[in-house]
Amino acid sequence: MFKHILLPTDGSELSAATIQQGIRFAKSIGAKVTGLCVMPLRHTLFCEMEIPTKAQEQAAKRCKERAETYLTVIEKDAEEAGIAWDVFYERNDYPHEVIIRVAKQKGCDLIMIASHGRRGVGALLIGSETQKVLTHSKIPVLVYR
Amino acid sequence: MFKHILLPTDGSELSATAIGQGIRFAKSIGAKVTGICVMPLQHPFSYETEIPMDALEQAAKRYKELAGTYLAAIEKGAKEAGVACDIVFEKNDYPYEAIIRAAEQKGCDLIMMASHGRRGVGALLIGSETQKVLTHTKIPVLVYR
Repeated sequence: MFKHILLPTDGSELSAATIQQGIRFAKSIGAKVTGLCVMPLRHTLFCEMEIPTKAQEQAAKRCKERAETYLTVIEKDAEEAGIAWDVFYERNDYPHEVIIRVAKQKGCDLIMIASHGRRGVGALLIGSETQKVLTHSKIPVLVYR
Repeated sequence: MFKHILLPTDGSELSATAIGQGIRFAKSIGAKVTGICVMPLQHPFSYETEIPMDALEQAAKRYKELAGTYLAAIEKGAKEAGVACDIVFEKNDYPYEAIIRAAEQKGCDLIMMASHGRRGVGALLIGSETQKVLTHTKIPVLVYR
């Protein structure tokens, strides 16, 4: 029934566990996966002080490197499981918007996401981005703990 | 990967859709399903006014009948799809508690439920019971829209 699963990652332990289960699940039903990592934008103006271009470039580079590290895990696991995969990286301050947009663009029919991410279980209920994806997505969402 | 899916119903249109998809999903992965309907308890006292016993009995009877109708729909759907099905009727003022307990007792490894139920999309985010199940369960939850 599900053919294409979106696996958002923020590199946290909980999202890593979800990715493992997501790939296992995709393999068991013969679906493909798309890994997605969204990193924050750096703003040129911070409290009205301009951030030097060089610092911005460095930040961009670091974000990209880190995203690649996280996405490589998905690539590697998917490769080992023998399932079709794709990865996507974007910088945006609203991860849930990107998650929903990419899910639509890539034609995903399920989003599998951890109940909490980087900010941990501090959010007593469920993680804030997961909550926002649940609120705005028209695509079914599998919340993993 | 998933072997036993819990399908909570409150008889609403949205939960009927989630059940239809849940049975379809169970069939596609060879899982069995358990349908559960949770109805409120009857309290003999309400703001210190006693409610006549026969009114309570009538209410209890009516709830049971309604639950029977909702659960019969699951049984019928599962039978038509050739999916093994079990049903549970519970009385509890906190549906999410009954849902989580039933999932644990029956050994379900996935709860599939609608994003909203009887109270509709009035709850701007996601339905309150769905939210509470997501908050308290350790079992993955697939939220269907």
